[in-house]
Amino acid sequence: MDAIVSGLVLGGLYALVAQGFVLTYVTSRTINFASGEFLAIGAFVALGVGSWSWLPTPGKVAVGVVAAGIIGAIAYRLLVVPFARSEHDSRWLLSTVGLSYVLLNLLTHAEGANPQKLPFARAEGTTSLLGVAVNKQQLWIALVAVLVTVALVLGSRFTSAGVLMRATAEDPQAVSLMGVSPRRVGVMAYALASAIAGLAGILWAAEVGATPGLGVHILVSAFAVGVIGGLTSFWGPLVGGALFAVVVQVGSYQVGALWGQVFGLLLVIVVLVIRPEGLLGRRMEAKL
Amino acid sequence: MARLTELAATVRKRPALRDLLWVLALGLIAFWASRPAMSGEGITLADSQILGSICAIMVAAVGLNFLVGHARLVSLGQGAFFAIGAYASAWLTLDGGWHPLLAMVAALVIAGVIGALLAMASMRLRGPSFAMITLVVTILVERILVEWAPLGRLSGYPNTLDHGSGLLEPIKVFGMELDPPLFAGIPADVILAILIVLVVALYGYRNVSQSSWGRSLRAIGTSEHLAAHLGVNVYARKVAAMAVASVYGAVGGVFYVQVFAHLQPESFNIYLSITIILAVMLGGAGTVLGPIVGSIVIVLLQQTDVLQPLVTAQKNISESWYLSTPGLIGLLLILTLAVLPQGLVGGVQGLVHRFRPAAVNADVEPDAGAAAPTAEAAEMTEQEESPRETSGEDVLLTVRGVRRMFGGLTAVDGVDLTVRAGQVHALIGPNGAGKTTLANLITGVYAPNEGEIALRGQRIDTAPTYRIIRSGIARTFQTPLLFGHETVEENVLSGFAHTGTLPFWKAWLKLPSEYRRDRVMRERTAELMELVGLKGFEHLEAGSLSYGKQRALEIARALASDPSLLILDEPAAGLNTAETAELGQLMLRLRARGLAMIIVEHHMELVTMVSDEVTCMNTGSVLAHGKPAEVLADPHVVEAYLGVSAVAEPAGAPLERTDNA
Repeated sequence: MDAIVSGLVLGGLYALVAQGFVLTYVTSRTINFASGEFLAIGAFVALGVGSWSWLPTPGKVAVGVVAAGIIGAIAYRLLVVPFARSEHDSRWLLSTVGLSYVLLNLLTHAEGANPQKLPFARAEGTTSLLGVAVNKQQLWIALVAVLVTVALVLGSRFTSAGVLMRATAEDPQAVSLMGVSPRRVGVMAYALASAIAGLAGILWAAEVGATPGLGVHILVSAFAVGVIGGLTSFWGPLVGGALFAVVVQVGSYQVGALWGQVFGLLLVIVVLVIRPEGLLGRRMEAKL
Repeated sequence: MARLTELAATVRKRPALRDLLWVLALGLIAFWASRPAMSGEGITLADSQILGSICAIMVAAVGLNFLVGHARLVSLGQGAFFAIGAYASAWLTLDGGWHPLLAMVAALVIAGVIGALLAMASMRLRGPSFAMITLVVTILVERILVEWAPLGRLSGYPNTLDHGSGLLEPIKVFGMELDPPLFAGIPADVILAILIVLVVALYGYRNVSQSSWGRSLRAIGTSEHLAAHLGVNVYARKVAAMAVASVYGAVGGVFYVQVFAHLQPESFNIYLSITIILAVMLGGAGTVLGPIVGSIVIVLLQQTDVLQPLVTAQKNISESWYLSTPGLIGLLLILTLAVLPQGLVGGVQGLVHRFRPAAVNADVEPDAGAAAPTAEAAEMTEQEESPRETSGEDVLLTVRGVRRMFGGLTAVDGVDLTVRAGQVHALIGPNGAGKTTLANLITGVYAPNEGEIALRGQRIDTAPTYRIIRSGIARTFQTPLLFGHETVEENVLSGFAHTGTLPFWKAWLKLPSEYRRDRVMRERTAELMELVGLKGFEHLEAGSLSYGKQRALEIARALASDPSLLILDEPAAGLNTAETAELGQLMLRLRARGLAMIIVEHHMELVTMVSDEVTCMNTGSVLAHGKPAEVLADPHVVEAYLGVSAVAEPAGAPLERTDNA
């Protein structure tokens, strides 16, 4: 029971990051492999403005989130657009991997590898959920993940930007014929996805401290979550996150931390065999 | 100079000699490179270790080239298989007590099996998901190395605490002790052994790249749809490619153990995978030499201090915001993608191509010249090959009551169609009538929801595409699907059944029988190119051909498999009048040789000229069927094409010609 509840809570963090993959994947068929570093960017920018005592905490968080979003939009324009010219062009994948190394290296030199305490945006202590003591900050992150998901689902249905995103997912060519550049939609998606990554980074750094490698392992789990849940559904990350984290936690409690991760990977592979498009993903049957 | 070019020409004409020279050159370089290590002098140790790293990265990179370069599957997992090869061979030797050679072979098998299993699970994916899974595996393998006690965790393997020594014993082979480049005064003869294995591995890699097996991977990289229509079992081939790449990765790991005699988990993190993929991209993905050159450059950049001045220069500007080697490698990866998308080797090849256009164009006659020999060639081949028995009554293909729905839309609705041996059956109808869908149903791209399709009485409607193709159907596509960056000749060569059926080991070994087969295929290719009017274009890039020539090339490729039924999907679309007339002549010649064809076409003149039977479809079902003149005169057909008003005036312009016929 302990493992299940803590898994559900931890899954929220992965889901939050995976949500960014869904956003960029549906709109541009690309994923930012440097997403992990955007967690760190969010955290370090928030840390940097941490000393501005006139700015209330939500403001500090917002600065970090917006900064990550802007850098994400620039990264899309400079490192994704020129390397994703056709369906067969997958250079964007390697260019974002390259970006990940550049950012990680820069941040390590500038900030050092040791964790730095983020003195705000933190809910201290534990609370009881279903009779199990859970870390308040993790619970908080899980709630944010649910809120972000609901916001994205509602936004994609009821705002014009959201409709545009869904239209681009359906048929980018038709969208461009309607006079809207799918690239602009991509910029929007990357900005939003990176902002979400930044938010996840700030909230997680408040718990474990800001480090350049903050996002590296979360990214890997988030990839697993994205593949399990499916990259074409906003609900996918929540379902995938819950499932993946519960399996990892139960495995860790029962057999050992290492094997929890191995089970998590096996879950990914099982899902791939049964449903390659992910649990909630839409099968895209190409009519040739 | 003249004699030199003559010599070069001789070598080019004799593939066996060329391959021999390649191996000899490689062997000489390897021998030369091994000499400092063999001296055993202390001063050579560092260089020998770098040389060992180059060998290890190189063999892993050439293996990865099968996936990334040829099949265009981006794997971030090559480092994981490198690690598996290294740890498995070391563990089996030391803890397992196996003979080192046996342990090495077992390590390769383990890596191959894991690679194949992973591929079976994930090969239905394309694009980012595959890269994500391979990345997850890489990180997981690193975690296992860091946390699993039997592998020594962060103390490394072997370690003094568990094994009494931090170094593996040098292996003994045929009574010789192969020492690593770790101690001054002891010749590092393991380097020579590694170089020998490397040369063998590179020889096999080059053979595969240039074989029909390599072509099948490039077909998959271009379009899986195309690959299946060349008779390739795409899924099995991708799994095989992944297994091969994994084994090559593990060979790299085995080399690594033998050079350093000790393993640290942090050497096998994701950075290793990135290094290997960068070696492929920087050198030139898809080229034979690319990964070889790329791995030399990348290891030298990483392990020598050539990048140091760059770091110092940055530090002069800012003490805290600068890039060291890993960051610079990341930047180099981005720059390579932007500036040299074909890599160093691909870029150089492109330059050579650009400065040699005269040599290529000299052979190329203008179009008028190319059309003339076509007729001759046809006569020639017709004389050579007696036309097949064409009774006209033998039923080749039957389509009965076939129905296919996409969601709520019924694209093909209860269609019947019969193609007799040696006959041309035209399929006409307005856009969206379901003609291409029917073609796709016949070649197994989709399975029909209802009805049956049989070739020579054998049901094929549930068979996968590659089986249908192997049973004697070939096709062309509405928009030509070609290897745009490869030569015309390469494109035709990919059409042979060999592309789908050549076993890997035969491609790797390249036995004399393969040389013979290759020669036969090239001769046949030359005939086919003459037949379709592409003589003289052999060495041009397929993408640079005019649209009409690209269509001719597709037909030549389809004919290479020696089909009994050829499906042409709008072959005249985009052709000018002269080209259409040529196409008509070509089809008549093919028909005379006994080839049955289904032609999906809007060009009624061509249809009347070549077809024995015509079926007209509209909104998924058959509207009319019969002799060309009958069908084209049918008022319902006219209505479907031109709308109702045409029927009101029965003697409409489009009917006149067919009325007279």
